[in-house]
Amino acid sequence: MPTTPRQVTAPVEARAIVVSNVEIAAHTYRLRLACPELATRFQPGQFLMLRLPGRTDPLLGRPYALYDTYADAQGNTVGFDIGYHVIGKQTGLLTELIPGQVVDLWGPLGNGFPQFTGKHLACVAGGIGYTPMIAMTLEALGVKTYGQSTTPASPERRVSMLYGARSKSHLAQLHELESLPNATITVATDDGSAGHKGFITEPLDTLLAKGEVDAVYCCGPELMMKRVAQIAASHNVPCWLSLETPMACGIGACFSCVVKVKEDSEDGWDYKRSCIEGPIFEAEKLLLS
Amino acid sequence: MNPLAVSLNRLQLKNPVLVASGTFGYAREMAPYLDLSGLGGIIPKTVTQQPRIGNAPQRTVETSSGMLNSIGLDNDGLETFIEKHLPYLTSLGTAVIVNIAGKTIEEFVQMTERLAPLSGIAALELNISCPNVTGGVDYGTNPEMAFELTQKVMAVSPHPIIIKLTPNVTDVTAIAKAVADGGADAVSLINTVQGMAIDWKRRKPILGNVIGGLSGPAIKPVALRCVHQVAQKVNIPIIGIGGITTFDDMMEFFVAGASAIQVGTTNFFKPGQSQNLLQELKAYVEHTNLPSITSLIKTLELPTVKKC
Ligand SMILES: Cc1cc2nc3c(=O)[nH]c(=O)nc-3n(C[C@H](O)[C@H](O)[C@H](O)COP(=O)(O)OP(=O)(O)OC[C@H]3O[C@@H](n4cnc5c(N)ncnc54)[C@H](O)[C@@H]3O)c2cc1C
Ligand SMILES: Cc1cc2nc3c(=O)[nH]c(=O)nc-3n(C[C@H](O)[C@H](O)[C@H](O)COP(=O)(O)O)c2cc1C
Ligand code: FES
Repeated sequence: MPTTPRQVTAPVEARAIVVSNVEIAAHTYRLRLACPELATRFQPGQFLMLRLPGRTDPLLGRPYALYDTYADAQGNTVGFDIGYHVIGKQTGLLTELIPGQVVDLWGPLGNGFPQFTGKHLACVAGGIGYTPMIAMTLEALGVKTYGQSTTPASPERRVSMLYGARSKSHLAQLHELESLPNATITVATDDGSAGHKGFITEPLDTLLAKGEVDAVYCCGPELMMKRVAQIAASHNVPCWLSLETPMACGIGACFSCVVKVKEDSEDGWDYKRSCIEGPIFEAEKLLLS
Repeated sequence: MNPLAVSLNRLQLKNPVLVASGTFGYAREMAPYLDLSGLGGIIPKTVTQQPRIGNAPQRTVETSSGMLNSIGLDNDGLETFIEKHLPYLTSLGTAVIVNIAGKTIEEFVQMTERLAPLSGIAALELNISCPNVTGGVDYGTNPEMAFELTQKVMAVSPHPIIIKLTPNVTDVTAIAKAVADGGADAVSLINTVQGMAIDWKRRKPILGNVIGGLSGPAIKPVALRCVHQVAQKVNIPIIGIGGITTFDDMMEFFVAGASAIQVGTTNFFKPGQSQNLLQELKAYVEHTNLPSITSLIKTLELPTVKKC
């Protein structure tokens, strides 16, 4: 197997200080938070719940994936970044955060992507779904480690990042990956304003046809993930999807984030909580609607 | 003497801060965030006799200072609960109050009988008010049926019985009186308030089940009103529930007439808050030299109303 399930640490509740909050693409921001408690535990594909303190509207926390961690001058991991796409109540308010303000968090949550120990990984991202792929790629290529994870490094390992967005203005720069010799970036936009014109699934199909990729990790809109899963299956490549099921608690307490997972039962499936059994599932185990 | 201890007829609690059914998973999920043994009691998610798959997503949606849910009692059934969750729950060193729901009186009675010989259970809470389950008769809205159900369950239960009531009735005191007459040890007030959310652009309800239950800070005034009305009219201990987030919220319920409280939706967005509330309560009791928390209960001073 090119992958192994990840060992994750217990989550904590913490308060974080905003370090910076910058627009990196249309309606897309990168929020840097100082919070050593979470930063030292966070692993690629895991998420946290974030809440704005002192108000009851919006009431619930919202889930965001780990983008990357950062270290202080001494090399200690002291904080992390998330990327957010502005679509509603909370993400709208996040844009107003300024350095020094605080937010409430609990995490890290979820299973994370399996550790990649194979030869060639394809990371497929749509829109804001690219953020978890940054840490994943850095870990797979041995550039960085996260939390407890210790992926054995291999100089031959390669990562192909396939990143689709609506148009050029919606694409974020993948600075972290650009200088890495073993990372290849392919971009697609719906309108052709950058990279391949059309869906990112087309270059993916071409790549997988070469028979070198031994696993696909994907995060993006539901329709795209469904298509990616089909393509991966047609090439017999194992595929993992990071689901963005709406969540109320993120910790397994409310049973609102359920997804249909195949099972040896009468109906052939059962609802599983995406926040604790996921958010990353092997595509072939899911019953996607 | 422990100044935080409260008793609700046969149910003795070391403190009045409990966590509400359906908002705390099976407690395991919450263990990273607080010391579970400190809580006055834990009420796990409602169990039904047979497994239930629950309602189709979308199961929750946020509303102004609240949320709607239509989970639909998704659970693996009583036998799995006894095997998989009860041993863990009873090992925690706090009162475990098992919340059950039946479709018929017979089902309630059978579940009660099944739980009767099991050790480590502090009480049963009967969910006769879940708005998300169709098919069953809604015992929570009919005083005669609520009375009959309470009486029949009391007859077979060695455990104290709490009846959890719905606010979705014209007169909550009528139902509370019926279950008090039936012999219940206490009532919990309130379950969620029926509500709905609509995506007008798609002409669709947002919840998979169309209608759901509203909870969170938005319903606190409704809950306080229900606790107050029952406290004034019916002689039965009350556990107050509904939108409790802060210390002040909790104190308002005690003053209105609740002997204990349950923290619900707040567990979702401040997982450790029940423990914080307990600590604040402890600090208050110490600071004010209160001999017993019970001296706070139902201390509301009502204005003398002149009729015109
Ligand atoms: C595990 C996980 C990780 C995530 N990581 C990120 C991330 O790193 N960056 C990021 O920007 N977003 C991420 N999301 C999605 C993010 O949580 C939502 O965009 C966010 O909750 C929106 O909050 P809001 O208050 O701005 O929108 P709301 O006001 O709550 O909603 C606005 C509109 O968006 C819809 N909506 C809300 N959430 C979703 C969703 N998950 N899928 C589809 N439609 C939705 C609502 O139905 C509504 O119509 C993640 C989701 C999950 C489950
Ligand atoms: C997601 C969710 C699930 C719930 N599930 C149950 C349940 O299974 N059984 C039950 O008796 N009450 C259930 N409730 C109701 C709560 O226990 C509580 O009575 C109600 O939410 C009001 O309190 P709150 O405003 O503090 O949440 C649920 C509430 C929510 C929000
Ligand atoms: S979001 Fe609450 S159980 Fe998953």
